[in-house]
Amino acid sequence: MITRRVKVCLGIMLLCLFIAHTGTVHAEHKKADLQRLLDQASPGETVILKSGTYDGPLLINKPLHLKAEDGAEVILLNSTAQPALTIEADQVTVTGLRIVDVSVKEEPSILLKGNQAMLDRLHIQTGAAGIMVRDANDGKIMRTTIEWAADGVRMADKGNGIDLYNSHRMHLQDNAIYDVHDGIYMENSDAALVTGNRFERSRYGVHCMYTKGTVIQNNTGNLNITGAMIMNVQQVTMEGNTFAKQSENVNSQGIFLYNASGSVITDNRVEGNRVGLYVEQSADNRLDRNEVSSNFIGLQLINAASNTVEGNLFLGNVVDAQARGSESNDLSGNYWDSFSGIDTDGDGRSDIAYTINPFFQGLTQKRPPFQLFFQSPGMVFLEGLYQTERDKWATDRSPLMAPPKDSLSEDRKQAGSGTGVAGIILLAGTGSLFYGMRRRKT
Amino acid sequence: MNSLLHVAAREMKIGFRNPWAYSFMALFTLFMLSLLLINAQGYVKGYSGVSGTMLNLVLYLLPLMTLMLGSFSLTSEKEEGNWELLSTYPLGTGAFLTGKYIGLAVVLLAIVALGFGVSGTAGWLLGEGFEFLTYIRLLIFSVCLSLLFLGIAMLVGTAARNRWQALTMAVSLWFFAIIAWPPILIATLGMLPYGWIKPAVTALTFLNPAELTRLFTVVKLGGGSTLGPEYYDWIIWIRGPWGTPVFLAIALVWVGIALAIAYLMWERGRGRD
Repeated sequence: MITRRVKVCLGIMLLCLFIAHTGTVHAEHKKADLQRLLDQASPGETVILKSGTYDGPLLINKPLHLKAEDGAEVILLNSTAQPALTIEADQVTVTGLRIVDVSVKEEPSILLKGNQAMLDRLHIQTGAAGIMVRDANDGKIMRTTIEWAADGVRMADKGNGIDLYNSHRMHLQDNAIYDVHDGIYMENSDAALVTGNRFERSRYGVHCMYTKGTVIQNNTGNLNITGAMIMNVQQVTMEGNTFAKQSENVNSQGIFLYNASGSVITDNRVEGNRVGLYVEQSADNRLDRNEVSSNFIGLQLINAASNTVEGNLFLGNVVDAQARGSESNDLSGNYWDSFSGIDTDGDGRSDIAYTINPFFQGLTQKRPPFQLFFQSPGMVFLEGLYQTERDKWATDRSPLMAPPKDSLSEDRKQAGSGTGVAGIILLAGTGSLFYGMRRRKT
Repeated sequence: MNSLLHVAAREMKIGFRNPWAYSFMALFTLFMLSLLLINAQGYVKGYSGVSGTMLNLVLYLLPLMTLMLGSFSLTSEKEEGNWELLSTYPLGTGAFLTGKYIGLAVVLLAIVALGFGVSGTAGWLLGEGFEFLTYIRLLIFSVCLSLLFLGIAMLVGTAARNRWQALTMAVSLWFFAIIAWPPILIATLGMLPYGWIKPAVTALTFLNPAELTRLFTVVKLGGGSTLGPEYYDWIIWIRGPWGTPVFLAIALVWVGIALAIAYLMWERGRGRD
């Protein structure tokens, strides 16, 4: 076994030397050789690759462990229209490879069709989808970086980072995905565990479609159009995720629930998004203890029913909440910093309710051009005048008087000295102006 | 040109001796310090709850202040007979009005600068100050707002015979531009066919300097996406390299037109006297 491995290594080393001396002419040979190596390896064997560039496409159709030698820079270069790597067998492990597959095409960079696969520490530069998982269950994709690498492609035409279809109980952990269409897209794929991943500059960070029992934990999303798009799902759990700065697009949200039911959204942090938590046509979900700060709109409820919204913290949002057609939700014990309540019995909860004025929502739904008046002084004034059918407004019956002490994340930034310098310049300017303009005794 | 500078210098001299200017200065400085306190309660970077509130508070105070200072300065020339005296000199109406505008602008900008200077410095010393870019954007917002409303103030001062008329006009114009604007537009434009609403709102926004500067600042603060899909192209455009120069050009044209109308009205009045 060991001698065989050594032989493989030696063979590849020689091959590298050979290639280095003869240029790219022999690339075809090398490809054929790596594929032949894999074909010759017996099931269960570990194939270790030395540093070097190997040509794709590659097909693994038996249980194997394909692995880059420790510290080696192994590049799998693919310029065909096929996947750089296709895995058809069960129990395949691929570790430490760098896959360069930058041509824009239909087929993904990695096509995974086998069960119990393990893809670990890969680095994928793709011009298509990163990893497409089809009808494959119980696999793991970990510590993998996926980034879009083709220029001049519109976001809508890009592929997804990790794309699951009909693949259940997948475990996606600590991956970093940049500049793709959807970071992780799951369709008809139940009980996935998505944890510790990072998504940036993509359309959606996590996108669930017709999934059940998905667990999304401790992920981070920045500067995507929407952080988490949770659509047509049941019993999804989202906890401890952070989604920040999803604010550039007119359809941006931190966490978007659409037609979701029985899901739990708890202890997440959404900051600086256009809308922090957006809940539409969803029922029977719990939204607890989330920190919703500095968003343009904190919470938006559109035709949502019988959801529980409790113990959330709304801080520094331009508008804390907007709601339309969502009177049957159970809102209580949230902290809204724009609201000042009265607490006569000293239980820390206000005796007057926090109500969400539906005027602006109703107006702009019928006539979107009036959205231009968002938070203009006159609009704030007009909303204050609108008090019709208050009992049908979404209402927090007992809002908190003060934010829960342990929940505040303390990362106050220091005042920039730039502001101080600018202030002093302005002061000095006006000061000398006053001095020049003073009454002179004659 | 020379007479223009004389008028401007005289206006500055009067302006800096005007107790009104000092009370407004005190008010605005106090106001900026209170904004600093609001700022200290929360995180301010870009468009957020606090900077939105600050924008709106500035929108309440600064236009009214500008309208009153500017229009009173013109009516007092009429009431106190200075204009009749000045008329005996070889002084053109254009030079007079432009000189007044420049002098008043310096006084107003001094008020704004003092307010921002005090709050910027105090915030820095206390370690709870404004974020630099937000501070600069708010400063630019306040400067643009006062310069544009000073144009309207010149019109008001020209149209009004005395201070009382000027006060009435100033307050009604302020109410119309700041508070009544959305209700009136919603009420009147709501009756138009749907397709006309967006062009009408867009065109009318160019007529209201308060809305124009507010929207420009909101977009520059990064809050453009709150304005909804209808205005997406506008937002991208304003954020592009041409956004700021074109906005400044529009502001210049705005002030130019206001002064031109004031000039025509003043000339007619001159003929009648």
